[in-house]
Amino acid sequence: MTDVLAAVDESFFTDRSGGSCIQDNKLFCPGWVADNYDRYVEPTLQHLVLVGSAVAAGFLIAFALAILAHRHRFLSTPFLAGTGVLYTIPSISFFFLLLPVTGRGALTAIIALTAFNLQIIFRNITTGLRNVPSEVTEAATGIGMTRSQILWRVELPLAMPEIIAGLRIATVSTVALATLAVFANGGGLGTEIVTGSNITFKTGIIVAGSIAVAMAILFDGVLLLIGKLLAPWKRVAA
Amino acid sequence: MAHESASASPVRFDSVTKRYPGAETVAVEELSFEVPAGEICVLVGPSGCGKTTALRMVNRTVEMTSGDITIGGRSVKDGDPARLRREIGYVIQQIGLFPHRTIAENIGTVPSLLGWDKERIRKRSAELLELIGLDPEYGDRYPAQLSGGQQQRVGVARALAVDPTVMLMDEPFGAIDPINRSRLQNEFLRLQAELKKTVLFVTHDVDEAIKMGDRVAVLKKGGKLAQFATPTELLMEPADEFVEDFVGADRALKRLALMRIRDVRLWKAPVARAGDPCEPVREAVAAAEVPHALLVDGENRPLGWLSDRDLSRERVPVIPDSSAELLDADSVLRDGLAYLLQSGSLYAPVIDPRGRLLGVLSVEIISDFLASDEASESELTAAERPHD
Amino acid sequence: MIGVPLASFGLFGEAFQFVFEGREAETGGVTVGGTSQVLELAAKQFEVTILALAVAILLALPVGLLLGHYGRGEFLAVSAGNAGRAIPELALIALMAAAIGVGLVNLVVALAILGIPPILTNAYVGVKQVDRASVDAARGMGMTEMGIIRRVELPLAIPTIMGGVRTAAINIIATATIAPLAGILTLGDFIISRNVYGDAGVLAGAILVALMALALEGALAGLQWAMTSRGLKLNRS
Repeated sequence: MTDVLAAVDESFFTDRSGGSCIQDNKLFCPGWVADNYDRYVEPTLQHLVLVGSAVAAGFLIAFALAILAHRHRFLSTPFLAGTGVLYTIPSISFFFLLLPVTGRGALTAIIALTAFNLQIIFRNITTGLRNVPSEVTEAATGIGMTRSQILWRVELPLAMPEIIAGLRIATVSTVALATLAVFANGGGLGTEIVTGSNITFKTGIIVAGSIAVAMAILFDGVLLLIGKLLAPWKRVAA
Repeated sequence: MAHESASASPVRFDSVTKRYPGAETVAVEELSFEVPAGEICVLVGPSGCGKTTALRMVNRTVEMTSGDITIGGRSVKDGDPARLRREIGYVIQQIGLFPHRTIAENIGTVPSLLGWDKERIRKRSAELLELIGLDPEYGDRYPAQLSGGQQQRVGVARALAVDPTVMLMDEPFGAIDPINRSRLQNEFLRLQAELKKTVLFVTHDVDEAIKMGDRVAVLKKGGKLAQFATPTELLMEPADEFVEDFVGADRALKRLALMRIRDVRLWKAPVARAGDPCEPVREAVAAAEVPHALLVDGENRPLGWLSDRDLSRERVPVIPDSSAELLDADSVLRDGLAYLLQSGSLYAPVIDPRGRLLGVLSVEIISDFLASDEASESELTAAERPHD
Repeated sequence: MIGVPLASFGLFGEAFQFVFEGREAETGGVTVGGTSQVLELAAKQFEVTILALAVAILLALPVGLLLGHYGRGEFLAVSAGNAGRAIPELALIALMAAAIGVGLVNLVVALAILGIPPILTNAYVGVKQVDRASVDAARGMGMTEMGIIRRVELPLAIPTIMGGVRTAAINIIATATIAPLAGILTLGDFIISRNVYGDAGVLAGAILVALMALALEGALAGLQWAMTSRGLKLNRS
């Protein structure tokens, strides 16, 4: 077991503000942050790639599953159960279950994060489709739309708010979870939390954690806006 | 408004049967009747009589087990159901407007499916909005911003978009409150007078059937046709006990739904404009059928009744505008009677679509109508005329 | 490349062996693994998970129920859920270890923090979604406010509430896996400390953690099914 209580690494001693903030490993050293913020650039970018890929892949797969389950209702339960299992297995465990297959690296992390996302997104797409009022689909059928036209022109647009809500939840959760990617050698902000052989550098943890939270809030906000743009009819009061 | 419309097509049911697999009773049994082009045929009956099923077999949202339905001679079974449905107007009770599309887009749904160009769709939507009596600005609103009655009118406009030869309407006014239902019915009948579509209309309300239908098909449980006749025949010569019971014991009063107010002889009331001298008006009141005077404007539009006190002055005064309490000449006598009884008035002014005075209706006029022998004759004559 | 699948089969075999017999540590000398160590760590993981879950329920459930019943604090309840999701578990554990210090109590507190948001939000939403008609009828019959919560709203909100509990459980058990970073040895130690346990240990740890998580989820799902009244179950179909 690595000694977690080791003293702060020598590599952190670039702090021109003077003083003993770093040496004493105080909670937060602004001076150090000012001098060293560039070390966070690459982990942040890696983190973005991890999250972006996982959510995109999760959405594509969940979308395909949801459309299938919408067409063939009996598939709902098995799909829900399957994605549920993937959701329940802790990501860190997932990283290493994939070990024999994809080894270590960003790909492993992305696969695990995608698996985590599936159920949330699948569930929301399915609920969104199911919540389309039956009289709307009845009218659409009656005036001569084909099944496929109804799906793409009526049901999916109307399900959009629910789908976006699911994407928001998935994205925020994935940003938080992707900090664990460091254990799979996948990079990301986790590398600045578990730095080298110890995890006691408080300032580093706070900065990395804050970037992650800020990223989550940013993504959430962007998706919220996109949701509003895609659903103009929801904005008008009845 | 000059309006070009495709000709309507006759619809014919030929021994149409619908049996659901595993069900004991038949939903529709050997249904046969023909609806001439340009007429409204109302399918009416108790719940479970198969009227909605019969309607839905026309556009194949329900597939018939045996028999055939032809539109203008062509079987509906020919070809792809989706294509068939695009050529038939379809209006349902809960309306089913697309919440995520604007009103104009909703109306333009089928044209867009058929590949019309944007400009043509836009023009057609605007045309139809005017036809159903909504301001053009409504085109950019969303369904959630409209009232139930307005939404249903848009539903009708949507069905008319590609000028179909047949319209199917499934309890279209069922979800509307009674006051607006009556207005919507009148408006639809006015529309029909202009467009002359072949309409199949389902309702459970026999009064609506009598008011709206050129022909009525009464169905009994098990989807059997009990009688197929004009409303007058239905009321005067019900085919059997079932039809008699269904139509109701108040058949006589129901006859009032067959006559328009404009079809009876209305009484005359003296009229006066603001500023006219009162003396001649007082004299006219003493001698007239209706012993009260109406204040009218320059266009002969009634503004309200003048009381004796109003007429006791030198000149006719201006009185508060009570022009809301007027009867539309196109309404049926039944609505006129209902209004008179509810408001407790003896007389109600009757106006034409432009608001101009045509005469005055009284309860006596209506009871005379019911009693007279002439009545049956003029009813039969009225039945032969299409609703206009 | 054929070697990979065969080798992976071998790795699974090694993992199997690790669990039941133990192997020599990568660092040499000591034997690690084996059923007794596995059980010890598993028990620890279970212990912290259940403790944290219990604390989270005790704190969040009453608050959520009350807020939902009185229809207040929607912003708090919903934001708690959103905020909770954004907390990076790794940063939380690391910060806790670095700033506050290691120890069972600290760990349980940190884990409970992760578990509170979903339970709070779901309790709020679950109660709020209960049919107003049922509540009005109960009030009209003379039930006290507490009585309404206990006998009408809570039973009807069970599915939603248990959904929140299950989400909390998943968060907690996943984070309990990285507890070794904070000095509390759980099954996650096999995964994190590869230099001691080797790849076999890592894989074994991964499998064991996954199984434990699935077992817990299954148990909670069963509990939810048992607690959901028959009437509700009929409604759902």
